[in-house]
Amino acid sequence: MPFLEFIRWQDVIDILLNSYILFRLYVLFRETYVFRVLTGIALLWIFQRIAVFFGLILTSWVMQGITAVVALIIIIVFRNEIRSVLQAKNLRAILWGFPQKSVPTTIQIIVESVKALSKRHIGALIVLPSKENLEDVFRGGIPLRGLISKEMITSIFWGDNPVHDGAIIIEEDRIARVGVILPLSYKSDLPSHYGTRHRAALGLSESTDALVIVVSEETGKVVVAKDTKITDIDSTAIFTKILQEHMGIHEEENVYQQKEKFKMSIAAIISVFFITGIWFSFSKGLDTLITLEIPVEYTNRNSSFEIVDASVNAVRLHLGGSGALIKSVQPEQIQVKLDLGNAVIGRNIFSITQDSITLPPGIFLRKVIPSVIEVTLDETIKKEIPLQVDWVGELPEGLILSEIEMDPDKIEIIGGKRILGNISTLYTEKVHLDNLKRTGTILANLALTPAALKIAPGSKDKVRIVYVVKPRPN
Amino acid sequence: MDIKLRFIIVLFVMLCADLFSSHWSFSQNIQNSKSSTTQKKLVMDLGVMCEEIKDFTPQNPAVTFSIKIGKVSCFTSFDPVPEKTFIYHKWFHRDDPSTKKRLTLQPPRWGTYSSIQLRETDKGPWRVEISDQKGNLLRILRFSITD
Repeated sequence: MPFLEFIRWQDVIDILLNSYILFRLYVLFRETYVFRVLTGIALLWIFQRIAVFFGLILTSWVMQGITAVVALIIIIVFRNEIRSVLQAKNLRAILWGFPQKSVPTTIQIIVESVKALSKRHIGALIVLPSKENLEDVFRGGIPLRGLISKEMITSIFWGDNPVHDGAIIIEEDRIARVGVILPLSYKSDLPSHYGTRHRAALGLSESTDALVIVVSEETGKVVVAKDTKITDIDSTAIFTKILQEHMGIHEEENVYQQKEKFKMSIAAIISVFFITGIWFSFSKGLDTLITLEIPVEYTNRNSSFEIVDASVNAVRLHLGGSGALIKSVQPEQIQVKLDLGNAVIGRNIFSITQDSITLPPGIFLRKVIPSVIEVTLDETIKKEIPLQVDWVGELPEGLILSEIEMDPDKIEIIGGKRILGNISTLYTEKVHLDNLKRTGTILANLALTPAALKIAPGSKDKVRIVYVVKPRPN
Repeated sequence: MDIKLRFIIVLFVMLCADLFSSHWSFSQNIQNSKSSTTQKKLVMDLGVMCEEIKDFTPQNPAVTFSIKIGKVSCFTSFDPVPEKTFIYHKWFHRDDPSTKKRLTLQPPRWGTYSSIQLRETDKGPWRVEISDQKGNLLRILRFSITD
């Protein structure tokens, strides 16, 4: 595919990194209002891109505006939620941890409820059906279909509740019926301290595969009846284990974990697809061109050499990339460097290659004009050069500038051998005659042309000019 | 040869040279041959830039000249002049050669000068390099043409 030619390894990292960031945002903010609003913003952005694609100018502008405003609002409105998510987690949890849901399970609620009932000596009869249908076995009862909770169970078995003497049937996470009458066991060898609840529990366990929990009103003791057997419950751990075995809860947990893993995998895949889509929308239109003129920087020059001439000081770069990236390119982000490490005195010809040019990510070089640069280097030498004042303007009428004296009248200059070879006089900056009405002294700066010339250390950079002004003879 | 006759001849030569160039030169024996001819070394005893030459004397020597005066001269005199020789006046506007004058010197003493006509483009620093016939630099005179 032709566009794959433009994908570099940096682009792959780019996509994967941003996909992971998006995935982590999902993991951290899922099931919060922030995530829902973020999803809304993402949808708005997708609509905006579609509107741009179809050339819907007003729609795209409106979408863009709403997206920008909503993005600002989300930070202000949901700042507390964002802060709680980020503060509650350490760096490891933010970067790669997976928060586990801490919603209490049905078993935990039943265990807690039974403990509370036992502690208060409130008699209770709780039926947990298995595979067999119980409708033919029990009688009466009131359908409830209420979500299970500790408070709900406790209140059902409260002494003043009209249905407190009956049993409750729990199906999945709901209390299906209350005040149910169970068949009694006719066993004659039951312990004497067992009451009607125990007999009812045993009766149901004899005829079905259900598990029945009994809380004794007199003693507060808890027993579990299943498969014609009654088991005393001494510890929470054993009670939990019995309930788990009955409900096959290990399998449920595995299913839950598998569901979570599936959800995460889907989220990860969507993140990769989403970011890849954004990346391609940025990279779309790689034929977009821009031409920039970038100055050439010369590096690794031998300190005793001097650049006396270069065929160009700047090169024109024809750059390609997506429209969005090209628009954001600033000339300061681009560098053209020529290594003069192997250059010699005289003419040197350098080709400007891809290695000479530093470009921002996602921007590609199409063409360089010129592709070859000629650089002339010269050896740096010192030379003593006479000075001369560059007078300008007009002396006041009737006066003659008859003589001058300069201190110094020569100066030592450092520069390229070729340049200095052609220079026999160094001039001052322009000195105006208009105000010279009488003999005096002035200080003048030197005009170092070309700028590559430098005054040698120890030499003065200003010239003191003593001048003599005389009246013009009649 | 009579002094006046020699002066007329020199003046004629000078005018002929002026027909071929805007620059012209003039030389004159400023004194009869009293000086000794035994000295062998050419010595330049005066070199000035001036507005004009009058009575074989440089007038208003200076280091800046207004372009309004239209002409500037470089006057040099030599004492002694051991033998007939010539010197050069090389005029430079900044570092660009402008003109080069070959001026003859006659023993025992001789004064001579060269001039240039000034144009608007001549403003700026100038120098005149005076050298002998072997090219040895005798002196550099520096001046400026201003408004």
